[in-house]
Amino acid sequence: MSLRCLLSDELSNIAMQVRKLVGTKHPLLDTARGFVYDSRNNLQMRGLVVLLISKAAGPSTAELSFQHNMVSGIYSSQRSLAEITELIHTAFLVHRGIVNIGELKSCDGPLKDMQFGNKMAVLSGDFLLANACTSLAQLQNTKVVELISSAIGDLVQGIYYENSKSSEENCLTDDIGISTWKEQVFLSHSALLAKSCQAAMELAKHSAEIQDMAFQYGKHMSMSHKLHSDLQPFVKESSSDTVAFSLNSAPAVLHQEFLGREAWIKQIKEAQGKGNIMDYKKLQEAIKAGKGVTSAIDLCRCHGSRALAALERFPPSEARAALANIVYAVTRFP
Amino acid sequence: MAPFPLSRAQRPEGAAGGKAKQLPPARTSSRQPCERVAAAPGFRVRVAAVAEGGAGAARLGDTMALRWWWWRWCGAPSRRAPALGSLPRLRPPGPGCRSPPPPAPGAAVCHFTQRSSTFSFPKICNIFWRCSKTASDEKYQDPFQLGRKDLKNLYEDIKKELLVSTVELKEMCDYYFDGKGKAFRPMIVVLMARACNIHHNNSREVQASQRSVAIIAEMIHTASLVHDDVIDDANSRRGKMTVNQIWGERKAVLAGDFILSAASLALARIGNTTIISVLTQVIEDLVRGEFLQLGSKENENERFAHYLEKTFKKTASLIANSCKAVSILGCPDPKVHEIAYQYGKNVGIAFQLIDDVLDFTSCADHLGKPAAADLKLGLATGPVLFACRQFPEMNAMIMRRFSKPGDVERARKYVLQSDGVQQTTYLAQRYCHEATREISKLRPSPEREALIQLTEMVLMRDK
Repeated sequence: MSLRCLLSDELSNIAMQVRKLVGTKHPLLDTARGFVYDSRNNLQMRGLVVLLISKAAGPSTAELSFQHNMVSGIYSSQRSLAEITELIHTAFLVHRGIVNIGELKSCDGPLKDMQFGNKMAVLSGDFLLANACTSLAQLQNTKVVELISSAIGDLVQGIYYENSKSSEENCLTDDIGISTWKEQVFLSHSALLAKSCQAAMELAKHSAEIQDMAFQYGKHMSMSHKLHSDLQPFVKESSSDTVAFSLNSAPAVLHQEFLGREAWIKQIKEAQGKGNIMDYKKLQEAIKAGKGVTSAIDLCRCHGSRALAALERFPPSEARAALANIVYAVTRFP
Repeated sequence: MAPFPLSRAQRPEGAAGGKAKQLPPARTSSRQPCERVAAAPGFRVRVAAVAEGGAGAARLGDTMALRWWWWRWCGAPSRRAPALGSLPRLRPPGPGCRSPPPPAPGAAVCHFTQRSSTFSFPKICNIFWRCSKTASDEKYQDPFQLGRKDLKNLYEDIKKELLVSTVELKEMCDYYFDGKGKAFRPMIVVLMARACNIHHNNSREVQASQRSVAIIAEMIHTASLVHDDVIDDANSRRGKMTVNQIWGERKAVLAGDFILSAASLALARIGNTTIISVLTQVIEDLVRGEFLQLGSKENENERFAHYLEKTFKKTASLIANSCKAVSILGCPDPKVHEIAYQYGKNVGIAFQLIDDVLDFTSCADHLGKPAAADLKLGLATGPVLFACRQFPEMNAMIMRRFSKPGDVERARKYVLQSDGVQQTTYLAQRYCHEATREISKLRPSPEREALIQLTEMVLMRDK
């Protein structure tokens, strides 16, 4: 995240206020903790990918008179775009952590704390978004603003689908097939990166073809990434304690498609048992027994190869190799 | 606040003039001072204009001083017990006025029934004065009528921008674009666009890009409203439930984000990077304004500056920058851009000041949202800050943001006992005057007059 943004008065104000949330159950606390402590998830992957693809595409070939400062093979505008992408991603991580006041129970703690947490979450998310918009305007490129604005719209719709599912009663899944799943995941997980990669190419005035290749890389790589993370609970070898997984993750959705909805619902009910508490271990076994897991792995690798195919259009370079390595990492299964 | 310096000619002298009797009958308690007012020489001319609806139109020059002086003597309830037993009978416009009566009298009458309406009587006279003036100079036009054609499909067009596949999300986004809002901001934008176009090359047409700016301004405004309602945990606005009340906070925040992204997309499609920069500034100011509201200042003087800065960022910046944007699109002269910006800024601040006043003087049903909301949120607005100078015991309450039980009620009483409301209104008038002064630098046109009229309407609104 941009240093300038981090050092701003507003964010330090927020940080002070968020401290008041310590001891409450508001999700914002987890999000904030994740930024500070959890370096594994805080890789700022999106920004990194945007930078790498900018470098891989090289200087603009179309307009020789195109003058911008280029540092380490990356234009300053592209650098700014990478920052913007991270800002937007973070803003929505924060906005995801809002609770519905009407659904709170007494075990969630005092209402005042939750309201306060909501207030902080909305404000900080808005602050990050406003910063992103301002930086976007400074790029002085209307096509890029259009692309990124539409990406934000996509992201909102994607998160909306996420929300709808998680608020379902009895953890029942939606009756969606894998193609619908892919559309929704594209919106919530891929659109931002894909369009940012394309925008990075636009900033350097690369051809429409290169822009499309960058888009394809971004899209397929992030789809693979999502599939990879969905598969983690199912491919880890030793797990004495089973972690809960989403019933709308890829393996589950594919499993439902193979098995048929009724049989799947039956399996869920069996796993729920008497007390309506989900026995995830049992359900996991059921899914592993079917074709869901292998299907998901295949799908992940399929997207991976499409990402690599898009990369072929870029000239060989260290940056391109790094991008390929990322694909290998997200398609690797034990 | 020092009273406006009055010239010798305007100070009250001597006995009642005969013309005073033709004014709308005032409350008995305030008849005498007004008769004295009527005797002042400069004033008599204007009264005559009102009474006869004749062509003796007075110049705008001394409006401010007169108005200030008028309600200090006639309208301020702190100086005499308000006798609200009877409504004033509104005199219909004189023969000189060819146009239908302005909508404001109805509003003024309704306002008059509220507890501490301080400016109804002067306002009513003012309406007729303006009516007669414009009748003699230009054809009187209700600003909302002038802009109606351009804004006819405003809300439909906004809904078209909100292309979203999910039915519920679309429902949430469309919720406030039902045509029941005041459409105040788009109105100003469209009128300013025409005024600038006329100033530049006498063209009365509004360009497509200028109309887009009006749409974008309204969308940004609505997105910020949706988020503000979540932040303030509000449950009603514009006479109906808020988005967060119906669909929950999570979805409400998403809806606000979506409207913002759609506005940003429409902005990009105009294809002008300057305009993008100007309007993006608004988004940043809106957020910073919210943050300013979070913090508070210890020092009394700092508090007022802080309040004005917050008011600019939260309300005036949108209007100022949208006016500036349409002026850039309509006219290449930077002086015109500055005029548009200053007009928007001054009107915007006045608008918010009156809003803060209405929070104290109006009742919830009429406003469409709960009253005394600012106090309950811990916010010290204009009337409170002025009242604090008369009642220093309010300082402690302000510092703890009215959090102790009973604070809100006590603060409200103090404000209504003090001249906080009047002072704030006076300040709003000064801003309106400044706005009028700025816009008068443009070439004359019905739109320019309408914009001047709009500043009056800002002062006279009651919801």
